[in-house]
Amino acid sequence: MSDVALTVEPAGGALSRAVAGHRGLAALATREVHRVIKLWTQTIVAPVVAAFLFILVFGLSLSGRIKLVDHVPYRQFIVPGLIVMAMVQNAYANNSASVFQARLDRYLNDVLASPMRNWEINLGLSLGGAVRALFIGLVLAAASLPLTGAPIRDPLVLAAATVLGVTMFSSLGVVVGIYAKTWDHAGFVQNIVIVPLSFLGGVFYSVSRLPSPWREISHANPIFYLVQAVRYGFLGSSDVSVALALGITAGLTAATVAWSAWLFKDGRKLKP
Amino acid sequence: MPNVPALSLRALTKRYDSGLLALDSFHLEIPAGEFFGLLGPNGAGKTTLISAICNLIRVTSGEILIFGIPHREAAARRLIGIAEQDVNLDRFLDVEETLVYHGGYYGMSRADARRRAREMMDVFDLRAKAGVRAPELSGGMRRRLLLARALMHEPPLVILDEPTAGVDFELRIELWRYIRRLHSQGTTILLTTHYLEEAEELCADIALIRAGRLLARDSAPALLAEWGGESLADVYVKAMAS
Repeated sequence: MSDVALTVEPAGGALSRAVAGHRGLAALATREVHRVIKLWTQTIVAPVVAAFLFILVFGLSLSGRIKLVDHVPYRQFIVPGLIVMAMVQNAYANNSASVFQARLDRYLNDVLASPMRNWEINLGLSLGGAVRALFIGLVLAAASLPLTGAPIRDPLVLAAATVLGVTMFSSLGVVVGIYAKTWDHAGFVQNIVIVPLSFLGGVFYSVSRLPSPWREISHANPIFYLVQAVRYGFLGSSDVSVALALGITAGLTAATVAWSAWLFKDGRKLKP
Repeated sequence: MPNVPALSLRALTKRYDSGLLALDSFHLEIPAGEFFGLLGPNGAGKTTLISAICNLIRVTSGEILIFGIPHREAAARRLIGIAEQDVNLDRFLDVEETLVYHGGYYGMSRADARRRAREMMDVFDLRAKAGVRAPELSGGMRRRLLLARALMHEPPLVILDEPTAGVDFELRIELWRYIRRLHSQGTTILLTTHYLEEAEELCADIALIRAGRLLARDSAPALLAEWGGESLADVYVKAMAS
């Protein structure tokens, strides 16, 4: 055993304590991003390849048969939806898995026992999925825009919709990671709710072309509005007004963020 | 913090949602610098007590003060280090990362956390395993890492929940040496254990609890004098049967 002291005199005043509080958030966020990087083949490469294959197979092969959708070449039409679908699915999957694993193995106790505030723990756990989703989106955009010629017509709308969508699904992942009692629970939401709603949210087709009542039913799909907002950001056109799409997306994002914040404030699901 | 107890529990009650009463109006005060042992059978409330102190469960009623500060406040949280009974190490992190991130959660700068992690790895002979992930460590190494993690942020109150459970004799003696040295440097220690000889060997003050209530509390010789018997085991058996 070394002779190094096991304890030292504590130091610091009010200012240093305030700074130290944010160091906790920075450490937890870094840990979550570190996990994404360590598992890069699963967290980045696999979803990028899967989404890019969709763009290649559907976009390039079907664009010979489907020329234009709403005056936009089909190979460009599907790019925004596929990018946003990959982003939100991975934001959700990352955080639900990371939070559930931390609860299952109980190393979340190391964070819960620390001086970090509830909102810092919530935000720190959310950022891993957000960073993963943004990285996937950037890689997919960098690969698919030159290939398909898809433009970015309204960068501000695109940025707003992307931030809202990633925040919504990152928070949803944290929420489900807290509620889940088995791996199946986290997987159920992904496979039975998010993936079907993504496919039915107008990623591959224009909802305005659907016959009634499928057109009206599609408008009840929350992911539809996110897809429309992102599509407007890329292509400058969408099935509904961009204000409505952004407004509904913002409302849903506020709801999921409030839900996760309440879970940390209430504490019942994290602390028996 | 002269004359302020390291830990004060006042009428602490914990009833789980299932209805189980784990702690029943529990009173306890541990002076700063004490080496305190908590003994009791499985289900006595030891881990519940520790979880309540560390803000890992919700308290039904009562008050917990850490060096005079309510236990939920960040200032109180910084003063406690805990090594839990179960090995709850982050499976994605190696030894050094485990320590550095823990330091970050407790507000240490990256540079300070790295320096302290190197010190802890030297103290607990973990330096050769710095880059090894927790699931790949032996049971003994994981126990050392748990203890090193609990001490990373230099807490003046360290809670050890059965730190030698399931470890071999050599490692138990080695962990005793670490813990004794930590206490000799002024750290208050709250130790729970099933091993009566461990409590007799290490603790200046011992409490016996059962069904969430304090049965007795004193030094080992005083407990022997009060309850009769030749060893702490005799006292334990009598107290639990009372």
